[in-house]
Amino acid sequence: MENRPLEYDYTVAKLFMFMTIVLGVVGMLIGVILAFELAFPGLNTMLGSGVAEYTSFGRLRPLHTDSIIFGFVLSGIFTSWYYIGQRVLKVSMSESKFLMFIGKLHFGLYAVGVVAIVASLLLGYTTSKEYAEFEWPIDIVVVLIWVLFGISIFGLIGIRREKSLYISIWYFIANFLGVAMLYVFNNMEIPTYFASGGHGDILHSVSMYAGTNDAMVQWWYGHNAVAFVLTVPIIAIMYYFLPKESGQAIYSYKLSLLSFWGLMFVYLWAGGHHLIYSTVPDWVQSMGSVFSVVLILPSWGSAINMLLTMKGEWQQVAASPLIKFMILASTFYMFSTLEGPIQAIKSVNAIAHFTDWIVGHVHDGALGWVGFVVIAAIYHMAPRVFKREIYSKSLMSTQFWIQTLGIVLYFTSMWIAGITQGMMWRAHDEFGNLAYSFIDTVTVLHPYYAIRGVGGLLYLVGFLMFAYNIYKTMSARPVEEYELQNASPMGA
Amino acid sequence: MSIAELQAYGYVAAMVVLVFVTYGYAYHLYTKKKDANGKDYEDYSNMALRDDLTDTPVSARSEHKEK
Amino acid sequence: MFHWLEKHPFFFAVGVFLVIAFAGLITVLPNFAQSSRPLIGAAPYSTLELAGRHLYIKNSCNACHSQLIRPFKSETDRYGHYSLSGEYAYDRPFLWGSKRTGPDLMRVGNYRTTDWHENHMKAPADVVPGSIMPAYTWMFTKLADIDTAYAEQVTVANIFSVPYNKPVPMRDGSTKIVKMGSSVEDANAMALAEAKVIAADMKDQDVKDAIAAGKIPEIVALIAYMNSLK
Repeated sequence: MENRPLEYDYTVAKLFMFMTIVLGVVGMLIGVILAFELAFPGLNTMLGSGVAEYTSFGRLRPLHTDSIIFGFVLSGIFTSWYYIGQRVLKVSMSESKFLMFIGKLHFGLYAVGVVAIVASLLLGYTTSKEYAEFEWPIDIVVVLIWVLFGISIFGLIGIRREKSLYISIWYFIANFLGVAMLYVFNNMEIPTYFASGGHGDILHSVSMYAGTNDAMVQWWYGHNAVAFVLTVPIIAIMYYFLPKESGQAIYSYKLSLLSFWGLMFVYLWAGGHHLIYSTVPDWVQSMGSVFSVVLILPSWGSAINMLLTMKGEWQQVAASPLIKFMILASTFYMFSTLEGPIQAIKSVNAIAHFTDWIVGHVHDGALGWVGFVVIAAIYHMAPRVFKREIYSKSLMSTQFWIQTLGIVLYFTSMWIAGITQGMMWRAHDEFGNLAYSFIDTVTVLHPYYAIRGVGGLLYLVGFLMFAYNIYKTMSARPVEEYELQNASPMGA
Repeated sequence: MSIAELQAYGYVAAMVVLVFVTYGYAYHLYTKKKDANGKDYEDYSNMALRDDLTDTPVSARSEHKEK
Repeated sequence: MFHWLEKHPFFFAVGVFLVIAFAGLITVLPNFAQSSRPLIGAAPYSTLELAGRHLYIKNSCNACHSQLIRPFKSETDRYGHYSLSGEYAYDRPFLWGSKRTGPDLMRVGNYRTTDWHENHMKAPADVVPGSIMPAYTWMFTKLADIDTAYAEQVTVANIFSVPYNKPVPMRDGSTKIVKMGSSVEDANAMALAEAKVIAADMKDQDVKDAIAAGKIPEIVALIAYMNSLK
């Protein structure tokens, strides 16, 4: 034991990696089911009308969003933290029994939380607030999980050898702080069982905010959940894995610092764009609109920095499917951070709001940017964590093209669906009457819903190929090199 | 002073501060080019590239402990 | 300043936190007092309506139906007067939704009736050909949770001073009193009385039998809530 050289300890990263893959499959499968339920409503009772309650669209929808955001993506973030954190701070988790224990506890509690969330959402326990559907006992568990994550971050920083904090660490810290603040304030709720002296369901709670206030807090949260779960830590992951895999230094470290602060300054002010033309004060709406447009700058600052990191090394994009994932992800990041501000412009929002265009926007970010970064990160980590080469490079390439096709089908169909429906809702005939009844604007969407379902299915198929590839990697040829530099080894 | 007025002043003040800080930071980064320890910011990219336990830290936390 | 922050993770974290918290302080907090004031004509939900609202939430109806009418001619033509902030004063949580897979329901009580909802919830495509809404057949047999609705009424009356058993002003100058039971038994009895009125307009024999036996199926509570949306 004493004679073994000190190594990075990936035990916790490995656990979260399995969780990422399992929850990814679950979340995406539910998503595909939901997509086809909209195209073919008969599927709502696919397991018989006896259990229709648990297979109907409404019951499954929060399960899809939450299992993707807080299941797949968040475990991907945790995996990356327990990998990147040690490496850029140059300290092994095996050096601290305490942090190792915290890490394992973090995973254990997270697994408990996952089970509780799946069960409670299926049974219909929801607060209805998007991405904050969990009832109060689960909220308490979530806070505990988050505290453990915090201890892990600051604990590792406390025993670091590298004095300066790499840019990824900055983003992880922001991720931790931002979510902590947002989650606590948006989930202020009173358990009615205790407040009423022991009546009714013990799990039920009532929001501390009413009506318009509740909406403001919710979308301040909802928008920034996207910021601090689906953007900030994903940038952290990208800023580590892209330079590492390509062997190229970040194009401009200064630009990465600058866009970090830009993102912090601007993001929080943009939440009002979810509430345009609602009953919140007009200036909040306008400000949300303006700041959304300003947000292009820091977002593109990061995205351009990622793309330019490949400067002079573009042949790697052709050669390595792993680099392909990352470069397409950066491109999708640019794309969705341009699309978002466009939708936040008031006159565009008047058409886009409440339609499938918004769903399309979310998914080109989630599938193209977040999903691809998490997949690429795991592909990079797997050979190092398991000390094996990636099972199949060609499988990886195939996966890339299948998933890319899936994303394209997804967002193009949703664009057409959203804009079609938005225009039909507002159409008047020559006498000033509404031109279409509501159902006309639904039946017209059928082909697009079907195409979207196929797009989602392709992405899921690609993800299953990914899961299989990682599974086979665990038993693939061991790598000879002791510590791998840059490009990940891949089997044929 | 009404809440709305306070809010308006708070908002303007926040914007001015944020704009100054952000532009100040950009100016700081690109004129100084080096941080307080005299290390070029761009060197920090190496924290990701050379991140084995055996690699020398870009700036070690304490010199005597690391030797 | 910047050099110093780079070297002190704790103050760096404090700095990040201040930067991200500031927006919330300025945009969200100051409007609390103003926008929580109820509009004249807004009244709290009765026990049965609240139980229906819980079912609306339980089945994530808000995933596909909004309750927010924007101030455009096309929306006011279709759904009625645009939404006003004070109308939501008793909505905990708010149910604006973010996607209109189905139509807005903010004022559905103005133009749909109990029997329409009954037929529609059983087989949506029979009532609206081409509808992609799933049927909610289980709501005709499962029973509504009146106790939890009562618990919520007690909670909001005590903590947020929601005016149950107190006169609230109506638009025509009159007042209305929304009653809340003095005990769980009382609340159940009141809910049953309200449910009987709604079930009288319904055809489903199971529902009628359940009401006759003193039980309240989910669908009755949900329709009570739908009818209250005006």
